[in-house]
Amino acid sequence: MKTIIRFEHVSKVYGSENTEVRALSDVNLTVEAGEYCAIMGPSGSGKSTAMNVIGCLDRPTSGSYYLDGVDVAQLNDHELAHIRNRKIGFVFQQFHLLPQLSAMENVMLPMVYAGIPLPQRQQRATEALTRVGLANRLNNRPNQLSGGQQQRVAIARAIVNQPVLLLADEPTGALDSHTTQEVMAIFAELNASGITVVMVTHESEVARLTRRVVWFRDGQVIHPNLSPTDLAQVTVAAV
Amino acid sequence: MEILESVKMAVKTLTANKMRSTLTMLGIIIGNASVITMVGVGQGAQRYASDQFESLGPNVLFVIPGSSESRNRTLDAPRTLTLEDAKAIATQVPTVSGVAPQLQTQQAVVYSNRSTSALILGTTPDFSPVRTFDVAKGRFISDLDVQRGTRSVALGADLAKSLFGTSDPLGQTIRIKNISFQVIGIMEAKGAFLGNNQDDVAYIPLSTMSDQITGNTSPYGTEVTFISIAARDENSVGAAQFQITNLLRLRHKIVTDDDFTVRTQKDALEVVGNVAGALTIMLAAIAGISLFVGGIGIMNIMLVSVRERTQEIGLRKAIGASQDDILVQFIIEAIILAALGGAVGTLIGVGGVTLVSMVSPLKAGVSPAAVMIAVGVSSGIGLFFGVVPARQAAKLDPIVALRSA
Repeated sequence: MKTIIRFEHVSKVYGSENTEVRALSDVNLTVEAGEYCAIMGPSGSGKSTAMNVIGCLDRPTSGSYYLDGVDVAQLNDHELAHIRNRKIGFVFQQFHLLPQLSAMENVMLPMVYAGIPLPQRQQRATEALTRVGLANRLNNRPNQLSGGQQQRVAIARAIVNQPVLLLADEPTGALDSHTTQEVMAIFAELNASGITVVMVTHESEVARLTRRVVWFRDGQVIHPNLSPTDLAQVTVAAV
Repeated sequence: MEILESVKMAVKTLTANKMRSTLTMLGIIIGNASVITMVGVGQGAQRYASDQFESLGPNVLFVIPGSSESRNRTLDAPRTLTLEDAKAIATQVPTVSGVAPQLQTQQAVVYSNRSTSALILGTTPDFSPVRTFDVAKGRFISDLDVQRGTRSVALGADLAKSLFGTSDPLGQTIRIKNISFQVIGIMEAKGAFLGNNQDDVAYIPLSTMSDQITGNTSPYGTEVTFISIAARDENSVGAAQFQITNLLRLRHKIVTDDDFTVRTQKDALEVVGNVAGALTIMLAAIAGISLFVGGIGIMNIMLVSVRERTQEIGLRKAIGASQDDILVQFIIEAIILAALGGAVGTLIGVGGVTLVSMVSPLKAGVSPAAVMIAVGVSSGIGLFFGVVPARQAAKLDPIVALRSA
């Protein structure tokens, strides 16, 4: 099986010597292709930092990170941008759709940076939006869509460049429980079709819908491979 | 990313924020419009003054009292130029065909119950051919008038109208400084010369002027303000200038500094060219400053816009925009604002120049060079002032940008 994420002794240190904060401390972690996993942990546990490093938004201070076999620590800004564009699809808590663009145009944006010609962009954006159930909302602006719909546009934007990894940061944090179910169903469906999904969340109801939980605390992975059904005892232990 | 995509994206962003885009452009619009208008007006003024001197004819010379140096030093010009000098030039300089000494002062002119202030100009019959300025009706001052000091006056067209209205002034009596003058002629309309209306002037014999109006104020003889001279032809202007200078030096017993200046039409054109050129440069510089301020306005708004759009920038980076992509996007936005502002400003400037040439005698013209420079400079300004905000945007950390919600 192909390994998508491999952390080898990854540390991330913020600040200077005196005010040093070790956000990640000697983390080893592996995520295989096709996995559906949730990163959890109390605040300050390093899960967000881990997410930034996985998403190639930030580089580890020491250690190696291989994304789809490529050592990311060695890449310059331009190459990192390319990796983010081609290999990773981001979904954020705040959706981060551009208000002046239609749903279609928002989904086309990653393909613009990939240099894909317009007709192909339109076709693929339409397919992606159809896949998340928004075929009839192609030309709506974000402010004409509900929160759940906006997040679905963001998911369409994340998958449109066919990334190896779908990375979601608290994807349901801004949604009510009903739309949370809807969005989670889409993630499950995408995972079922073969996309690797990693999401950071603090909601155990959400984590329970994944297939593996990685538990962080104090910048370290405490439980690298927790079954979502065992989540309750960890949460209780953490409290 | 392709440049065309960047341009499309920039247009989309700018049109999404029309009010702000327009306000940002305003500085550049005003700057550009003022550069083009100012340069147009400056060049119009230059052309106007040149035309005026050109209209004198190429063989005209002027003798004015004071050297160009001494007139810089003293407020009051030395009263050394006399009627006798003019006569000597007329009789002793062979390359001269006409000499018209002038003595002038501003006085009240009265006819029956109407009164107006006008320039009184004492001169000789040569004034008419030298300045190519003839009577429309009646006659001009004759040699006999000058010899006898008659109280005869030829009225400028505007002066005749303001005193007499529609009735015929010929043979009527007017009063200048309470002395009666008989109207012998009406001049043809000549228009203004360097802003002085030559039609609002009363022309009287020089002798009458010095004896009865101004009084003899020079210790050297009958003082004159100014001598207009016509050389025989265009080619003898240089010789005439040389001969007049020598003659006057002899007559004034000058050893070191001249107390007079002989100017040719060419000299005058040169002076006008220099003055108007300096004026144009000054106007352009002032307008240029406003263009510069407009550029700073663009930078200011773009910096605010970077602040406001941190999330957008962060997102673009997360989905694959490189630093260069962001840099290019913001620079293109700035250039579009500046270039569009430049184009609108140019149109307004052209309109302004057209308006000036319609309502004033200045033949203001739009110089293609001014347009090209203004548009080029404003686009350059967009680039220059766009770089700082664009770099700031490009350097933005995507994590910080995305978390700033």
